[in-house]
Amino acid sequence: MPERLSVLLLDDEPIVGKRLKPALAKLGCDVEIFENPGQALQRIAGKDFDIVVTDIRMDEIDGLQVLEEVLKKSPRTKVIMITGYAMMSVAREAMEKGAFDFISKPFSPDDLRSVIAKAAQSLGYSMDV
Amino acid sequence: MPVIIISSDSYQTGREIAGSAAKALGYDTIGREILGKAADKYKLPEAKLTKALHETPSFLGMSSKLWKQYLAYVQEACLSELLRDNVVCQGLAAHLYVLGVPHVLRVRILSDVEKPVNQLVSQRGISPDKASKLLEREKQASRRWSLEAFRLDETDPSQYDLVIGLSQIDPEEAVKIIKETVGYARFRAMTYSIQCMEDLALASKVRAMLLERFPGARVSANRGTLVIETLALKREKGKKAKAIKEMAGKIPGVEYVEVHVINDFLRQAAESFR
Repeated sequence: MPERLSVLLLDDEPIVGKRLKPALAKLGCDVEIFENPGQALQRIAGKDFDIVVTDIRMDEIDGLQVLEEVLKKSPRTKVIMITGYAMMSVAREAMEKGAFDFISKPFSPDDLRSVIAKAAQSLGYSMDV
Repeated sequence: MPVIIISSDSYQTGREIAGSAAKALGYDTIGREILGKAADKYKLPEAKLTKALHETPSFLGMSSKLWKQYLAYVQEACLSELLRDNVVCQGLAAHLYVLGVPHVLRVRILSDVEKPVNQLVSQRGISPDKASKLLEREKQASRRWSLEAFRLDETDPSQYDLVIGLSQIDPEEAVKIIKETVGYARFRAMTYSIQCMEDLALASKVRAMLLERFPGARVSANRGTLVIETLALKREKGKKAKAIKEMAGKIPGVEYVEVHVINDFLRQAAESFR
């Protein structure tokens, strides 16, 4: 197992990646940021990430499709869904499809850090938030 | 981990299923035993809280203002217990106010039609026909209660994730079905659903505190931010908003309070006719 946790973060709003990347880097993660779901899926096809954090509502490809693609390719990857349009039905659907966690926006970098730490622990990494 | 809320057309049946489901899953049960603690907290007899769960306000009975207050106390007590995971809740009308929380499995149990009739016949020595009519009246009263208390029809199956009729399904089978259903990943607690429950609990705590002084106050919470709506005359607006902000701001977990004071046209009209 590599020492550093690999994280892919996908959100079509650039500000999200910009704000979260330093917070996750502080945790010791190697973070790759994507705003385009198609490009993110291409990257996922070539690399098994430990954790994928994805927005749900995006043009063309939505987060639930990304979740399915990620788990098809790499079942051990923990997928964390983030959305500004949280609803019970979507949350339940995401969990049923295998999401590790579901967070509603707005959230603080600390909130995401603690979820990432939980995901990391479930993968066998020890991580202090 | 999940929370199960059980509602039934028969309190006793719901209680039995809740107890068996909790035992089968190794969960705790939350029921009317918490009313004693709530009654102590709000310094009133427990019987009044129990009564509020059965009766609607009436001219000679409980006033509408007190009824709403008592229900708010029950709600607050129940929601603070539901912050714990792995619980089965029954008998506190939680199916009518714990809404939109993904890790809550809402179950409706329809009792065996014949069993309660036979029980009434043997207990009260009345005819089966009379017992059926009595039970039907009770069911209708319970439906009216849910509509008046929470504007929801508790007999509407679309309110639930799972409806089980005990006329054809044994109680043991019902418990098995509940156990299997709650195991689905969609009912697993997640950051969002825990937040939903915490928001409901905080809003109910603030509302329970405000209702005595501000009847009709409506409270919603989102991560420590409260939005409170209340009615007031134009001249009282500033004073009321300030008082609400002060009172709500003292509750742990409250970070910001926004008060919307809506013009009380009825009182205004009544005053202008004096």
